[in-house]
Amino acid sequence: MVAGSKRLREAAIVAVMLLIAIISLRMSAKNPGDLSALDRGILRLVSPAQSAMSLVARAITSVAGRYVELTHVRGENEALTRENQRLRAELTEMRRLAEESGRYQRLLGLRDVTPAETIAARVIAVDASPYFRVARVEIDHGEGTVRHGMPVLTPEGVAGRINRVSGKSSDIMLLVDPRSAIDVVIPRTGGRGILRGKSGENGYRCSVEYLARGEPAKEGDAIVTSGLGGAFPRNLAVGHITRVIPGAVGLYQDVEVTPDVDFSRLSEVLVVVAPPPAPDPDPSAHHLPARGLMVYK
Amino acid sequence: MRSAVTLTVAYLLLILQSTVLELAPVHMVAPSLGLLVVLHVGLSSKWTISSAAVVAFATGYLFDLVSGAPQGVHALVFVLMALFARGLTTRVAVQGIVLSAATAFVASLLASMLIVLVRAQVAPEAGYGGLRQAPLEALLTGLVGPIILGLFRYIDGKVDTARSRVGLARGPRSLSSDISPWK
Repeated sequence: MVAGSKRLREAAIVAVMLLIAIISLRMSAKNPGDLSALDRGILRLVSPAQSAMSLVARAITSVAGRYVELTHVRGENEALTRENQRLRAELTEMRRLAEESGRYQRLLGLRDVTPAETIAARVIAVDASPYFRVARVEIDHGEGTVRHGMPVLTPEGVAGRINRVSGKSSDIMLLVDPRSAIDVVIPRTGGRGILRGKSGENGYRCSVEYLARGEPAKEGDAIVTSGLGGAFPRNLAVGHITRVIPGAVGLYQDVEVTPDVDFSRLSEVLVVVAPPPAPDPDPSAHHLPARGLMVYK
Repeated sequence: MRSAVTLTVAYLLLILQSTVLELAPVHMVAPSLGLLVVLHVGLSSKWTISSAAVVAFATGYLFDLVSGAPQGVHALVFVLMALFARGLTTRVAVQGIVLSAATAFVASLLASMLIVLVRAQVAPEAGYGGLRQAPLEALLTGLVGPIILGLFRYIDGKVDTARSRVGLARGPRSLSSDISPWK
């Protein structure tokens, strides 16, 4: 009798856990960007730890990199080696600073040419799960201004859009996430389609859906935002076509796109916090070439 | 206490997975450390099925928050995986490095399929694609599986030692006893 009630209690607890998980799923399916007070509380605990761990990891990588450099000069004269070590360490530090400064300058440059108000954010975690391409960023200034759905840019192009917000940290749904959908255009042909991520692929890839066959795409064609849908400003660089899959039948072409942003090296981003301007109705503007740091005017 | 310690270690592993592994040479895929926590609680005879389900749910819920996945995806999959692991123990004694690695490999493949299946229900636009790298993820999970499972066995041992000092030590439970819901 006692054993029976214990067994019943065990089964009931398991059932309750499954039920809560299913209820959470249904709620998040209805309101993807919403977080409960408990979620926000947990994220407030998690984000500082992620941020600290990220800094420690980068420091360890930097020290390891220096160690590798130093082992190359061990065979040389000891005095020269010591001098060399010092200079190399300084050089590495200078390069790191120069690279960091360059990144910030490019971000500032992007901010100057982006036709919208932006704030900078630092990436503290990327891709904990291969089935959901999400990066977490921390915003030092401008907390409270970031909202669900806001576009996120880098100097190379579009990174994604804000998915969840919790205090100073926010999740970016990268454009390679399969849930992401961005209205894009091929400037060469004017062909429009929906860019969708291909999660779980061995590489960051996207595909363009609903691209009409009447405007044939070619490998190497640039893809930019169309500005339609109201989320992204128009003519922001997104990626390049790397494969036009032959043999597909139907009304639409099957096209694979490699994003211009290297998501494995994502470190700083800009969040567009002001609404983008209304799209230009002039269709000839779509035929501008796209390359490099791209915000076309 | 056992649950609290396990969840704390799970939390650290998930933070590790979301930050340190992004700096690894292979950026695209990482072992599923959260799943290994769930496997441990499911496989270990020191955990009742209810406490294993609670820890699996909490780990999955935390992983959903850390990874940016829709809330409930990993929570649901991890509870199901804890049940799978417990079901497995009634048929196979998962002991030794090879069997632990094989179990982690198979469980990771199964979890990947479940995640894609659940994701397709929550976000139909994402479809059922994305399983191409599941074998690599499973391989990495299988490789680190024995280490992480060993770490948790060690932690369980330490918890038992601490409990025995106050007369609360918990011996292994027989999974074939009449309290198992699997009988």
